[in-house]
Amino acid sequence: MGKGQPSYTDEEFVAAIRRGDDRALAHLYRLHLPMVLHFVQQNSGTEDEAKDVYQEGVMVFYEKVREGSLELSCQIKTYLYAVCRRLWLKRLAEKSRFGVRLEDHEPYLETGAEADLALAEERDRRLATMAEALERIGEPCRSLLEGFYLLDKSMQQLTADFGYTNADNAKNQKYKCLVRLKKLFFTHYQEEELS
Amino acid sequence: MKTEADYYELFEAYQRGELDASTRAELESRLAADPVFARRYADFEALTGTMRAYGHRLATRRKLQTIQAELDAEQAAASEVRETGIPSMPKVYISPVERKLRDFWNGYRATIAVAASVAVLAVFATLLGIEWWRAAQRPSTYGYTVLRREMDRIKRNQRAINRAINQIDGTKSPEELNPGKFGGTGFALTSDGYMVTSYHVIQGADSLLIEGRDRQRYRAEPVFSDVAHDLAILRINDKKFKSFGRLPYAFKRGAADLGERVYTLGYPREDVVFGEGSLSARSGFEGDTGFYQISIPVNPGNSGGPVLDDRGNLIGIISGKQMDVQSAAFATKSSYLMRLVDSLSAANSGPTYNMPRTNQLYGTSRAQQVRKLQDYVFVVKVYE
Repeated sequence: MGKGQPSYTDEEFVAAIRRGDDRALAHLYRLHLPMVLHFVQQNSGTEDEAKDVYQEGVMVFYEKVREGSLELSCQIKTYLYAVCRRLWLKRLAEKSRFGVRLEDHEPYLETGAEADLALAEERDRRLATMAEALERIGEPCRSLLEGFYLLDKSMQQLTADFGYTNADNAKNQKYKCLVRLKKLFFTHYQEEELS
Repeated sequence: MKTEADYYELFEAYQRGELDASTRAELESRLAADPVFARRYADFEALTGTMRAYGHRLATRRKLQTIQAELDAEQAAASEVRETGIPSMPKVYISPVERKLRDFWNGYRATIAVAASVAVLAVFATLLGIEWWRAAQRPSTYGYTVLRREMDRIKRNQRAINRAINQIDGTKSPEELNPGKFGGTGFALTSDGYMVTSYHVIQGADSLLIEGRDRQRYRAEPVFSDVAHDLAILRINDKKFKSFGRLPYAFKRGAADLGERVYTLGYPREDVVFGEGSLSARSGFEGDTGFYQISIPVNPGNSGGPVLDDRGNLIGIISGKQMDVQSAAFATKSSYLMRLVDSLSAANSGPTYNMPRTNQLYGTSRAQQVRKLQDYVFVVKVYE
């Protein structure tokens, strides 16, 4: 750690990450990893599980910051701890038939992280449905849509990649794929909502 | 008629702001007016929005994984440097098995600790419980203790040596082979072979042997026993036996006085032992009125011994002592012995008891009394 990296305050972290500063993100990630590692390993988890949970927690934080909807009422450290604690509790409950009791070593406060997590879970569900829909749509639609929306490739490049005669053909194909994806996505998404 | 794909093209162009002003105004007015059309646009937005969010999510995850990978690589490098940096510290290699064991230990430490403590507790509770139970089976550890003597091993060895010597002499005495299981004291009741001892001395006896100061042995059999007052009457049924001669002491029928000086003779060991004290109380263990409490130091083997007062009257028979009280021995009152003898005589079928009527000890000194008395006090040996 270190290597002459600038030290940020919490506000500076949020501002930098909102700008898309990946170095700030990396720095933040390093800063609080040991805390979560310790917490999860203390509560019958392995190092790998701890890293997983931590990445998910940082992801929640990161997405909130990028959206600009984060209302931080406490330190980032406390927020991350609350999020990761909640995530680990959930995993433990899935893993174990027994009642779960956690040993806290950081002060655990009501941080609003719970509400953020509920939103994040909803979002996770939507994204999972999307991943599934993309899985089922088949080639070449999948690559085409992924190329355009996920990887931000231009239509010209995609035309060349997929061997269409011109950009209009590619475009038409893309929209047809989009209609199919829409059907797949919404039927599944609504089914899940119902169930 | 436009297909859905055509609408999507339109929507995308609208999102990117590529439409000219008139088309855009038309679209916006239609969105406001037509709910089906608006719904279609909302779906489109949700779809593309979700897809972009999914793209961002994948990118973020890659980013975080890259950071983590960098961290891991750094740590690996750092640990290598540390290992080589300190030569005195050997490189620690943790095998997968050991890693698993460590994880297991970290995870289940608390459970293991609880299980171990429960096991230890259970073991000790069981041991303690057994100990208590066994203590409960032996009620006389504290409180009342009867005073019959278990023949110990030292005596057995001594006898073995004696026997060897006897065999060298050419004389053989088969009775010496078995020293008996228990021992007590007894004394003559009548001159024609009736004796008194404590009931607990002869309890469970197969055969009895009486041995006097002159090492003369007689076989005996129990005639009657009174468990409540711990009394037993024996009769010598041995052909060698002639008579005790005239008994020097008399039996007291009434109650003795508190504070009277009393003494006893008995066989707590091989030789006859004299013990003296006072009559401390007119009731025995836990207020038993059949007994006196006397302050004579007594030992196992004293049981059944006579208790006499200054004037040479027999006032009691040693029975037991209280372990947790200093020098508190108990003796059956002679009045109960007299009552027992009277009731046995009264029964027509029973033999007659010629009790001594005169007291030859009266007025003589203590030493003279003991000298006369010791010929009438015997060891009672019990074989089971």
